[in-house]
Amino acid sequence: MLKNKFSWILVAAVAVLSLQNCEDPSTTFEPINPDLSESAVLGTSQSAKRTLDGCERQLAEVYNRFVDLVEVASDNYDNTRTFYNQFLDILNIQPTDADINGVQFEIARLRELANAGLTVIGPGDPAFAANDEAEFLFFLGVSHLLAGELFQSLPATAGGAAMPATDHLNLAAGYFQQGLDKATEDDTRVSCTLARARALYHLGDKAGAVAAADAAIALNTSFLREVQYDVLNGTFALNEMQNAIHDRGTFDDLQPLPRLDFLDPKYNDQNAAKDFNTPLLKIEEAHLIKCEAAIADNQLEVAKGIMNDIIGLVATRPTTTFDDSTEDRIQGMAGIRPDSTNVQVAASPGAPLRSGLVLYRKGGPITVPFISGTSVTAPMIDAVGTADEALELLYLLRQEIFIAEGRRMTDMGVRLVVSEVERLANPNIKESDLTPVLPPFMDAIKTEIDGIDYDAATGICTIKHDLNKVIVANKASDFVCPFH
Amino acid sequence: MKKISLLLGLLFFSSVALLAQRSITGTVVDDSGESLIGATVLVKGTATGTVTDVDGKYTIRVGADDKILVFSYTGYETQEIEIGASNSLDVTMSSGVTFDEIVVTGQGVGMERKRLTSTVDAISSEQLELAPITQLDQVLQSRIPGTQVRLSSGQPGTAALIRNRGPISANASTTPVIIIDGVRVDNLNSNPQLSVGTGGANSSALADIPVEAIERVEFTRGGAATTLYGADAANGVLQIFTKKGEFNKKTTFGYDGTVGIMQGEERFLRWKETADLVFDPGMVQQHRFTADGGGDKVGFSFAGSFYDDDSFNDINKQRRVSMRAGLRAQITKSLLYETSSAFTSNWFNRDYNANTSFSRYGNAEGGSYGDLSSYTAGALDTLRQNLQREGELTDITEAVRRFQTSHTFTWKPFKGFTTRAIIGLDNRTSRQRNLESNALLIAKGSVGEGTADQGFMNLSTRSFITVTSDLGMQYRADAGNFSFITSVGGQLFREQDEQYQIIATNVTEGSSLVSNSAEQTASDFLSVIAFGGFYIDENIGYKNKLFLNAAMRWDGNSAFGSEIGLVNIYRVGLTYSLTDEPFMQASSISKYISRFSVRANYGQATNFPTPFRRDRLFVADPYLGGIAYTFGNPGNANLAPEIVNSIEAGFDASFLDARVGLSFTYYDNVTKDALFTPPSAPSSGQLNQQVNSGEVTNKGIELQGYVDVIRSKDMDLTINASVTTNENLVASSGGAPEFVVGGFTFLGSFVKEGQPLGYFRGSRPTFDAEGNLIEVEANAALGNPNPTAYGNLGLNFRWKNVTLFGSADYQSGASGVAVDDVLRYFGGVNDPGRIPENSATASFFDLAGVWVEETNFFKVRNLGISYNFPLPAGSTLSRLQVGFNMRNPLVFGSSSFDPEVTGAGIAVQNGFGVGGFGFGTESAPRQYLFNVRIGF
Repeated sequence: MLKNKFSWILVAAVAVLSLQNCEDPSTTFEPINPDLSESAVLGTSQSAKRTLDGCERQLAEVYNRFVDLVEVASDNYDNTRTFYNQFLDILNIQPTDADINGVQFEIARLRELANAGLTVIGPGDPAFAANDEAEFLFFLGVSHLLAGELFQSLPATAGGAAMPATDHLNLAAGYFQQGLDKATEDDTRVSCTLARARALYHLGDKAGAVAAADAAIALNTSFLREVQYDVLNGTFALNEMQNAIHDRGTFDDLQPLPRLDFLDPKYNDQNAAKDFNTPLLKIEEAHLIKCEAAIADNQLEVAKGIMNDIIGLVATRPTTTFDDSTEDRIQGMAGIRPDSTNVQVAASPGAPLRSGLVLYRKGGPITVPFISGTSVTAPMIDAVGTADEALELLYLLRQEIFIAEGRRMTDMGVRLVVSEVERLANPNIKESDLTPVLPPFMDAIKTEIDGIDYDAATGICTIKHDLNKVIVANKASDFVCPFH
Repeated sequence: MKKISLLLGLLFFSSVALLAQRSITGTVVDDSGESLIGATVLVKGTATGTVTDVDGKYTIRVGADDKILVFSYTGYETQEIEIGASNSLDVTMSSGVTFDEIVVTGQGVGMERKRLTSTVDAISSEQLELAPITQLDQVLQSRIPGTQVRLSSGQPGTAALIRNRGPISANASTTPVIIIDGVRVDNLNSNPQLSVGTGGANSSALADIPVEAIERVEFTRGGAATTLYGADAANGVLQIFTKKGEFNKKTTFGYDGTVGIMQGEERFLRWKETADLVFDPGMVQQHRFTADGGGDKVGFSFAGSFYDDDSFNDINKQRRVSMRAGLRAQITKSLLYETSSAFTSNWFNRDYNANTSFSRYGNAEGGSYGDLSSYTAGALDTLRQNLQREGELTDITEAVRRFQTSHTFTWKPFKGFTTRAIIGLDNRTSRQRNLESNALLIAKGSVGEGTADQGFMNLSTRSFITVTSDLGMQYRADAGNFSFITSVGGQLFREQDEQYQIIATNVTEGSSLVSNSAEQTASDFLSVIAFGGFYIDENIGYKNKLFLNAAMRWDGNSAFGSEIGLVNIYRVGLTYSLTDEPFMQASSISKYISRFSVRANYGQATNFPTPFRRDRLFVADPYLGGIAYTFGNPGNANLAPEIVNSIEAGFDASFLDARVGLSFTYYDNVTKDALFTPPSAPSSGQLNQQVNSGEVTNKGIELQGYVDVIRSKDMDLTINASVTTNENLVASSGGAPEFVVGGFTFLGSFVKEGQPLGYFRGSRPTFDAEGNLIEVEANAALGNPNPTAYGNLGLNFRWKNVTLFGSADYQSGASGVAVDDVLRYFGGVNDPGRIPENSATASFFDLAGVWVEETNFFKVRNLGISYNFPLPAGSTLSRLQVGFNMRNPLVFGSSSFDPEVTGAGIAVQNGFGVGGFGFGTESAPRQYLFNVRIGF
C-alpha cells in the first residue's frame, strides 16, 4: 500500500518538474533575452556598416520628431486645430514642452551613435573602411548642425553644459571638414562639402560658405541627399510631416500659408509601403548661399543670375501627380480657407494680388513638386531693382524650396531652448539656458505669423505679415540673414 | 532555480500514513427550516470540506481521528458539532455572526477567518447566482468592498480595470493576480505589445477566463497576501475555486439559460442622433449545461456553455464556447486528488474606436459631421447609410483559444498534518486581425475613388503560457491554551509570452491572406519570466480569541538585476476577538454585540520588474532591407522588485443577533523602491531605463456594513453598503524628472513628486469678467484621475420564493478629460458655455484646463428578480427558477462623458493605465436578460 502511494507521489512530482521544464531545460529558470547584447555587436564584422545604417535610420527619427514641430513654428503652416503642437504655432516656446525635449533626445542619440561608431564599433570591425569613418564624421556633423540650427544652446556631450549654437555650428563645420578629408566616395564628399557650406553660412562666414558651395556645385550639379524613411519598420522611422500634411484621414491637416498652397502636400500617402523622403542636402542650397553672399556684396546682377540658375534647377526637379480630393482646406469649418484656383493672394496687406498659388483639389489629380518647387519666375527676378528686393525674393525662394523640410524657423531667427527634463537630469544646465529669446520683430507678431484674412466671396486672401519682408527689414539683426 | 524545484520535489516525497474513513451525510437548515445552500462543512483541524447543495444536503468523508465538524454560513453562527457514531448529522444554523467564518485563504490549506489578521473577501456561489454572469469582471463588480471595477469600454473582448486601495505602481497595471484552483492564469488586461490598434479598446485576457462552475471566489488585498503568494501579489490575489463534484451524490443535471437584448448607453451622448447612426439593439444568449455527482471515491462536475451576442451596434458580434470539467478522487484514505480543466474559444469583431479618425462613433460624437441635431431627416439618413457602409466594410476580428488545467494532491498522513501540491497551466492564444480594404479606405474618405493599391492588413498573434507548481505543508498542534498552525511551502511559476505581427500592404482586394499582398513585414516580441519562492508562516492562537501571525518569504525572479539575489519580505499581524471572552459571553451585552474583533497587520508585497529590462542591449532595427544598429535598453544590474509595505488595522463587528454588521479597516500602503521609468537626460541619447527610484503612498479607510431590515420565515430584506477612501500620492520620484504615462501633448497624464499618480497636466487658462483669456498657467496640475472615494450599494429582498436584488457602485473625487469636446472644438461645434465667447479662438493648448471635469458617478449595475417554483416531493426536477435581470440599467454621472471609459489609457503592455480620457468610446451597454435555471 505504501509503495503504491509512493508511486502516486512520484508520478505527481515528476509531473511537477517536467511541466516546469516544458521549454529548453537550460533556460527554464534562467530565460535568455533574445535581444542583442553589447558583446554580440562589438568587434563583429559588418558592425560598422550596420551602425552607419543605424545613423541613417536615427536621422530619420530626428526628422520624424522635429520637422512638423518647427514647420508649425514658422509661417509655412498653420496648426488650425490638430493635436500637433499648438504652443509653437504661436511661438510659445517652453522648456517644459515634451516635443522640444524629444527633438533634443533624437539629436543627441544621433551624435552618440555616430560617436560610438567612430570610436568603438568601427575600430573593432575588421571591415571598417575610410569612407565609413567619413560617414560617421558626417553624421556627427549633422547632429551638431541641427543642434545649431534649431536650438539657442544645447549640450554637446552626454550630461555636458549647454553650448551656444555657434559652437555647435563650428563643431559641425569641423567634423564635415574631417569627413571630407577621409571620404573616398563622391556622395560623401559632396555631402560633407555642402553640409559644411550650410554650417558656415549660418556662422556668417561668407567666404568660407561660398567656397564650400562652389566646391559642392563643382562636384555634383544636381546633388540630393535625403533622409530615408522606412514606414514599415518602426513608429518613428516614418515621415511624420507627411502625416501632418496629408495622411490624417478625416482629421484636420496642417494648413499651408495660402501663398505656398501649390507646394502642399510635398509628401503624400499614395504608397502605404513607402513614405516620401525629406531632402537633407540639395545643391539648390549652394546656389542660395552664393546668391545671398552676392546680395550682401551688393552684386545685384550676379545675384539675379544665380536666382535664374536656381529656378532653372528647380524646374528639373520631379513632381508627383495624385488624387488629393480627401484633403480639405478647413479651419474649424470647411470652406473658410482658400481652396480654389480662383483665389488671389496678397503676401501682405497692400501687396499685389497673385493668382495661381492656390490649387483646387476636388476636381481631379493635382501636381506638386516633392524635392523643390517655386512660384518665382524670370520676370519676377528681372523686376528686382534693389538689394532688399533681391533679398526678399531670395527668402521667398528659400521658403518655397525648403518648405516642409524644417528650415524656415531658422531663417526666421527663431530657436528652441534646452528642455526642463535636461535641466532636471543634468546638473550642468543653468536656469538661463531654459529662457527662450525670440527676435523682437517676431515676438511682436508671434500670434499672427501665419494669419490670413480671406474673403471667400471675392476669392481674395490677404496674408497678415509677409515674413520675408520682416526678415529683410531686420537683416542687420544677429537673428537673421547671416551675411548681413 | 533548479535547486528550488528539486527541493520542492523532495518535500513532496516525505512520509505517508493511512487511516480508515467513512461518509457523514446530512441537511443544513436555518431557524425557519429553510435549506441553506452553500453552507460550508469542514472537518475541524483539516482542510477537508464541502458545501451544501441546493437542498441544503451535504456528504463529507471523515477519518477515524476526526472528531468535530464545523458548519458555517454567511450571517449565521458557526457551529462545531462532535461526530458521533451515526453517519447522519442534520444541523440547524442560527443567525448570530457576521461574514463567513471559515475561508480557504489560498494555496495553503483552510484556516478559520478569525485567525486571519488581514481582510479576505469571499463570494459564494449563491451570491454569484443572483445575476447571470458572462464575464469574470461581472463576478467582481459591486461585490467586493474596497475594489473598483471600472468598465473601460463597451466593445467586445474588453474587460474592466480592476483596482483596490488605489494605484500602487507607475510601472504596472492594477489588475490582481488571478488564480484558478491554485494555478495562475493570464491576467493581461491591456493590449499585447504587438496588437491591432483600433483606437483605445484594449483586449483583455479577463474577457475569456471561463466562468463556469465557480464554487467560490476569494479576494485578498495587497500586502496581506504576501506570505501566501509573493511575486506580483501587490495588487492583491483573486482566487477562484471551481466545482469538482461530491462523493456519494446522485448525479444532478442543470440548465442555466439566459436570453435578452443589449442596447447602447445613450446617457452620455452629445447628440441623441449618434444612437440612430451607430447603435442597433442586439440579442444576447447564453446556455449553460451542468452535471454534478459522485460515487464512493470519485466526484465529478461538468459545465459547458455557449454565449452569443450581436452587440448594441450594427456590426459587432461575439461568440464564446466554454467547457470545464472537475474531478475529485479519493485515491487512498490519506490522498485526495482534485483536478479541473477548461477550454474556451472566443471570437468577436470590433469597430474602430476613440483615437482613430476611422471611428464612426468617435467621429459622430467628436463633431466630425458637425452639429448632428441640425441635420435634416434626409441628411441624417444619408449619413447613416454612409456609416453603415463603413461598418459593413470594417473587418477587425479577434479569436482566442484558451486551455487551463489544474491538478491538486492533498495528502494527510496523520492528524494535523496536511500537504498540498498543485500543478497546472494556462495556455492562451489570440489572433487579432485588421483588414483595411481599399473599399473601406474609400468609404472612410481616406483615399480617393478608384484607389486599388492601398489595402492594408495587421495580423497579430500572441501565445501565452504560464505553468504553476505549488507545494504547501501545514501542521496544526494544540498545547494547552495555545494552538499553533505552522505552514511552509513554495511556488514556482514561469510565464512565456510570444507575439508575432505581420503587416501586409497593398493587400489584394477580396483576400484576407497575407500571402496575397505586395509587401509584408514581420516583427516579434518575447517576454519570459521565471519565479521561485518559499515561505514559512506561523499562526499562534491563545484561547481561541487572540491570534498572532508572523511570516517570512524569500523570492527569486529572473527579472531581477544580476546584483539582486533573493528578496526577503515579511508579515506580522495580530487579531483579537472580544466576543470570545467568557465575560462577554456571560454578560447581557452579548444580546447586543454578536461579534467584535480587532485586527492589525503589517505586510509586504511585491511587483516584479518588467522582464529583460535589467539587460544592457543593442537593437538591430530592420531598415530599408538591411540591419540598423542602435542603442537599446541601457541596463540596470540593480533592478529589484518594488515592495509595497502595508499597514492595516480595523475591526469586524455585528450587533443585534447579527442583524447589523460593520467592518472597518484603515490602510496605509507605501510602495518603496517603486519602479519608475523616468526620462533620461536627452543629451545622453539613451533610452529611458526602469529604475527603483520612487515612492508611492496610498492611504484611506474601508467601511462596509449591512442591515437585515427584515428577517422572517417568509420575508428577508438585507441592505449592504461600503465606502473606501483613497489618498494617492507620489511621495518621491527619487529626483527623477516627471514623466508621461498617458494622454496627449496638450493634456497628459504624468507622474510627478507631490502629485497623485497619473495626474493631469496641461495649461490652466484664466478669464476676466468679459471672458477674455488673460493668463495661462503652463503645465498646471489640472486634476486627479484617481477617485478619492468609491464604494458599493446592494439590496436583497426575499418574499417567499421571490427574490429581488440590486447592486450599484459609485465614485467621487476623480476628474477626467472631455477629449471628445476638444474634437468638437476643432469642428466648431464644442459644448456651449465651456469656453467664453471672447476666447473662442484661443489655442486649445492654452485652453486645456476647460476640458477637465469632475467624474463622480453612481451606476446601478444590476437589478433583478427571480422566482423559485415550489416543486412537489418526488419531482424529477430539483429546481426551477426564472428570473429577469437588468444590467447597467441606470447611470448618473457628473461629467459630459462616461467617467468610466479609459480612451488613451494604457501605453504599453500591462502598463499603468490611469484612464480618465473620455474619447470616442462607447459605454458598456444596457442589457435586459431573462434567465431560467432548471435542475434535474
